[in-house]
Amino acid sequence: MSVPRGALSNFNRNPSSPWRHLDLLLLGATVAVAALGVLMVYSATKSTSGSSYLGRQGVFVLLGACVMAVVTVIDYRHYRDLAPVLFGGGLLLLLAVLSPAGTTVNGAKSWFALGSFELQPSELMKLATVVLIAALASASTSSPLEGRTVLTCLGIALVPIALILLQPDLGSALVFVTAIGAILFVAGMHSRQLAVVALLGAFGAIYVFGYSSMLDNYQRDRLTTFVSADAQNTASFQVHQAETAIGAGGVTGAGLFKGTQTKLRYVPYQKSDFIFTVVGEELGFAGSATLLLLYAVIAWRIWRAAAVARDMFGTLVCVGVLAIFLFQLFENMGMTMGIMPVTGIPLPFLSYGGSSTITMFAAIGLVLNVHTRRFS
Amino acid sequence: MTADTPRLRLGIVGIIALSLFAALLTRLWYLQVLSAPEFRLQAAANSIRTVDDPAPRGRILDRNGKVLVDNRASNVVAIDRSKLTKDEKPVVLKRLSTVLGVGVDVLSKRLDDQRVSPYTPVPVAADVTEDKMVRLLERSDEFPAVVAKRVAVRTYPMGNIAPHVLGYVGEATQNDIDNSSGSLHLGDEIGKSGVEFEYDRDLRGAPGQEQIEVDASGKPIRVVNRKAPVQGNDIVLSIDADVQHLAENSLAQGLAAAHGRSFQDTKKPLVADAGAVVVLDTKGAVVALASYPTFDLPSIANGITTEEAKVLFGANTGAPFFDRAVQGLFAPGSTWKLVTADAALRSGLITPNFSLVDTGTYTIPGDCTGSACIKHNAGSEAWGRVGVSRALTVSSDVFFYTLGAQFWSNRKQLGDDVIQRQAEQYGFGQITGIPLPAEAAGRVLTPKMKADLAAKNSPLVDGPYWYTGNNVSLAIGQESMVVTPIQIANAYATFANNGDRYQPNIALKIQRQDGTVVREITPRVAAHVDIPGPIHSAILTGLEGAVSDVKGTAFNAFDGFPLDKWRVAGKTGTAQAPPKQDTALFVGFGPATNPQYVVAVVMEQSGFGATSAAPVARRLFGQLSGLETGPGAVQFVQANGAGD
Repeated sequence: MSVPRGALSNFNRNPSSPWRHLDLLLLGATVAVAALGVLMVYSATKSTSGSSYLGRQGVFVLLGACVMAVVTVIDYRHYRDLAPVLFGGGLLLLLAVLSPAGTTVNGAKSWFALGSFELQPSELMKLATVVLIAALASASTSSPLEGRTVLTCLGIALVPIALILLQPDLGSALVFVTAIGAILFVAGMHSRQLAVVALLGAFGAIYVFGYSSMLDNYQRDRLTTFVSADAQNTASFQVHQAETAIGAGGVTGAGLFKGTQTKLRYVPYQKSDFIFTVVGEELGFAGSATLLLLYAVIAWRIWRAAAVARDMFGTLVCVGVLAIFLFQLFENMGMTMGIMPVTGIPLPFLSYGGSSTITMFAAIGLVLNVHTRRFS
Repeated sequence: MTADTPRLRLGIVGIIALSLFAALLTRLWYLQVLSAPEFRLQAAANSIRTVDDPAPRGRILDRNGKVLVDNRASNVVAIDRSKLTKDEKPVVLKRLSTVLGVGVDVLSKRLDDQRVSPYTPVPVAADVTEDKMVRLLERSDEFPAVVAKRVAVRTYPMGNIAPHVLGYVGEATQNDIDNSSGSLHLGDEIGKSGVEFEYDRDLRGAPGQEQIEVDASGKPIRVVNRKAPVQGNDIVLSIDADVQHLAENSLAQGLAAAHGRSFQDTKKPLVADAGAVVVLDTKGAVVALASYPTFDLPSIANGITTEEAKVLFGANTGAPFFDRAVQGLFAPGSTWKLVTADAALRSGLITPNFSLVDTGTYTIPGDCTGSACIKHNAGSEAWGRVGVSRALTVSSDVFFYTLGAQFWSNRKQLGDDVIQRQAEQYGFGQITGIPLPAEAAGRVLTPKMKADLAAKNSPLVDGPYWYTGNNVSLAIGQESMVVTPIQIANAYATFANNGDRYQPNIALKIQRQDGTVVREITPRVAAHVDIPGPIHSAILTGLEGAVSDVKGTAFNAFDGFPLDKWRVAGKTGTAQAPPKQDTALFVGFGPATNPQYVVAVVMEQSGFGATSAAPVARRLFGQLSGLETGPGAVQFVQANGAGD
C-alpha cells in the first residue's frame, strides 16, 4: 500500500497535529442541521417573502462557517488571555443597545439595526462570558473551588445578566445563568455553595417574576401559560397552534412546503422561535426524530470534547457551550411541544437570525478547537 | 471532595443531557405518533371552512316557453346580530357605511328589522358591486359579524304576471327546516306560495359546497374542494302568458267598468272591488288564472316587509295576496242551474220535453208562510212557457224554483239530496286538486249536514230543519252552497267533456335547463260523470242559447262575436252575497261543437253576470278563438231584459 505524499501523509504521520483530531462527526452534524435550518426558514417564509429569507439565512450560515473556521484555527488557549477584552467589548455593546441606538422588537430592546440586518449583542456575549468564566474557574487550583473564586465569577456574570434583564430578555438571561451554573458545577463548586447559589437564584427568580417591574405583562403571561394553561391567553393559543402543527405532521409529515398550520400563519414567529413546528408539520416524526438525533450527536460530541480536553479551561469552555446548546434546544423544542413555557429563545442552527447562527457556529468552533488540540 | 469531581460532575451533566433528549423524544412520539389523528383533524378544522353554495332555482316558463321567472346573481351584505356586540355595532356600521356608500342611519334601520330571526344574518345591502365585496372579504377582521355572500335572486322578465300562481320565495323557517327531513338548512330559500311552493322540490336543485382554506386571520387562500351546485329544474306551466295577461287586464277593466254603475236591482252604485278569472283547457290544464286585487310580485321577490305584509294580507286593502280563483268562496247563483238541470233530467223528475208556464212569480208551496215565500225572476220578467233549455237560456228562476220544490216533495222516491249528489259529481264541495296551495273545498249543504251543523250550534245554519224553501234556493245556486271559481270552471269543463272530470294541472312538464324532459305532467281524470246524450244536448242547447239567442242572458255581451265560426255556450249568474252587493258570474266554453276552453269569471259586488262578468269572458274567448284579438277595453253592457 503506497502512502500518498503531501499534506495528507503529513497529517497521518504526526500524531500530535491538531488536524488529525478534527471532529468530523461534530462538524458534519452541525453542517447538516444548519443546512436543514436554511431549508426550513425558506419553507416558513416562502409564501410571504419568496426566497429573500432563504438567501439571508444562507449568508448567515456561510458567515457562521467562516467564523467557525477562524475560531477553530486559533489555539483556544489564546482566548483565555483575550477573554477580558472580549467580555469588555460585549459589555459595551450591551450598554449601547439599551441606549437610543438600540431597536425594540416585540417589547425587548435587544437589537442594533445595521442596514437590513440586525445584531443581537446578547448572543455574542454568551460566548464571551462562557470563555471568561471558564478562564477564571480553571485558574483556581483548589478543589472544591474557593468561595472567593465563585463569588468573583458570579459577580462578573451578574453584570451582563442584569443588562440583558433590562432589555428585558428573560430567556437569554436564563441561558447565561444555566451556562455559568454548569461551568461552576463542573469546575468543582462545593455542594454547600451550590445549594446557597441555587437558593439565591430561586429567590431572585421569584422576585423578578412576582414583584419587580422588570418583567412586562406579556412576559409574565408567556411564562404562566406553562402553569395556568389559560385558554384565552395569547401564548397558550400560540402553543396550542404549535402543538397542533407538530401533531398534524404525524409520522411522515405533510411534505416539504405543504404544512397548513405554518403556511396559513396559524403558528406565530415560525421562522424564528417556532421554526421547529415547520419541521414537525412538514417532515413528521421521521424528520423531527432525525433532527433530534443530529442534535444528540452534536451534544454528545461537545460532551466528549469536554471529557477529553487537555486542560480544565478546555473542559469548562465545552461545558459552557454544551449548557447553552442544551438549554436553548430543550427550552425551544419543549416550548413548541407544550412542555416548557413560551419564551423567545432561538433553536440552535435552525431559527432564522444572524447573531444566533454565527454565535452557535463560533461556539462549535471553540469545541472543535478544544477537541483538535487535546494532545497538543 | 476527590480529584475526580470534575469527571464525576461531567458525568452528571451527560446524564442530564441524555434525560433532556429522552424527554423531547417522548413528547415528540406522543404528539406525532399517538395523537396525530386528533391533531390532524384540528389542523383541518382550523384552516378549512365549508361554505354552502346555494343552487339557483329552476326557471318557470309558460306553455310556449316564455320565461316568467328567472334568476340573477346578487351580492348581498348581511349582519349577524348574534355575533355583533354592542360596542362593535357603531364601529362596524360606520366602516360598512364607508365601504357601501350607504348612510349609517339606513344600515341601522335595516339591521333593526324585527321580522328577521335574531339568529340569521339580516341583509342590509343588496346588489353590492364586486369591488366592494372584495374589500369586505379582504378586510374581514375589520368587519366582525358581517356576511358578504352571493345569492341568486328571482327576476321576472315579463314583469308582474300571474303573481298568485307563481308565488314568491323566502328563507326557510325553522319549521320548514324541521319538516324537511334534512334537505333544508338555515338560510336556504324555498317557495312560499304558488307554484314556487307546490313545485319547490323540482325547482330547488342541489346546493353545492365549497371547502375553502383560510389563513389565521380568516382570509380565504384557495378552494380545496368544490362541489358545483346543480340548478333546479325548469317548470313549464300550462299557463299561456298572453291569455294570462289578457285575463288579468280584462278582469281589472271589467271591474273598473262596473265600478260606480247603478245596480238595476238596488239603484246603488256598484263597488266592483274584487274578482277572479279561470281559463281551463278541456284536459284540465289551467291556461290562465287571475285574481283581483293583485300585487306586485317583483317588488316582494326579496322578502316582505311588515308594511307590505299589512297591505298584502289586510282586509281593508282587499287582501290582494288572497288568490280568489282557488281560495275565494262564492255563491254560484244561476251558474248552478247546470247541476239542477242535470239532476232533474237524470232523476226522471222531468224530461227534455217538460215545460211549464213562467209567470215571473213563484210561491213556495207547503211548509212556507209569509211574504218571503213569494219569489220572483230577476226583474219579475215573465218568460211564458219554458222548457229546461229555454229556462237555461233566459235563466228562468221560476222554472228552477219549481224543480227545487218538486225534488223536495218527491224526496221519498228520489232521496232528499239529489241536487247535492249531482253537485258532488261535478266536483263541488271538494277541492279540485289543482296543485296550488290552500285551495278551498267549498261546501254544499244537505238536509243531514244542516241538521248536524245545527246540533253543533254552527252559525252557518239557521236551524236543524230543511224546508221546501231551502230546496228552492238550492235549485238556483243560493244559500246552501259556496264554491270556488276553479270549481265552477271545472264543473263546466266536465260537462263540455261529456263527463270527464279532470283534476286541474298548472304545469305541463318538468325539464332541465337544456330542455330535456324530466317528467311529463299528464292530464289526470278524477272522475267520470255519465251524461246521456239527450240530457247533454238539452242542456247544451240552453247554454248556447244564453249566448246566441236574442233573449239569452249573455246575448248583449256577445253581440257581434263571430258565433257562426266559434260557438260559445255559457251561463250567467247573479248571486246574492249579503251584506255585500251581488256577485256577477259567467262561465262558458267553446267552441261548443268541440270544446277546447272553459272560461269562468267571478266579480264581487259587480251586479249582474250578464252586464259585468260576461263581457270579460267574451274578451277572453275572442283571444282564445283567435277571432277577436285586437285592442280595446272591456265594456259594461246593458242587461238583456232582466239581466242575471
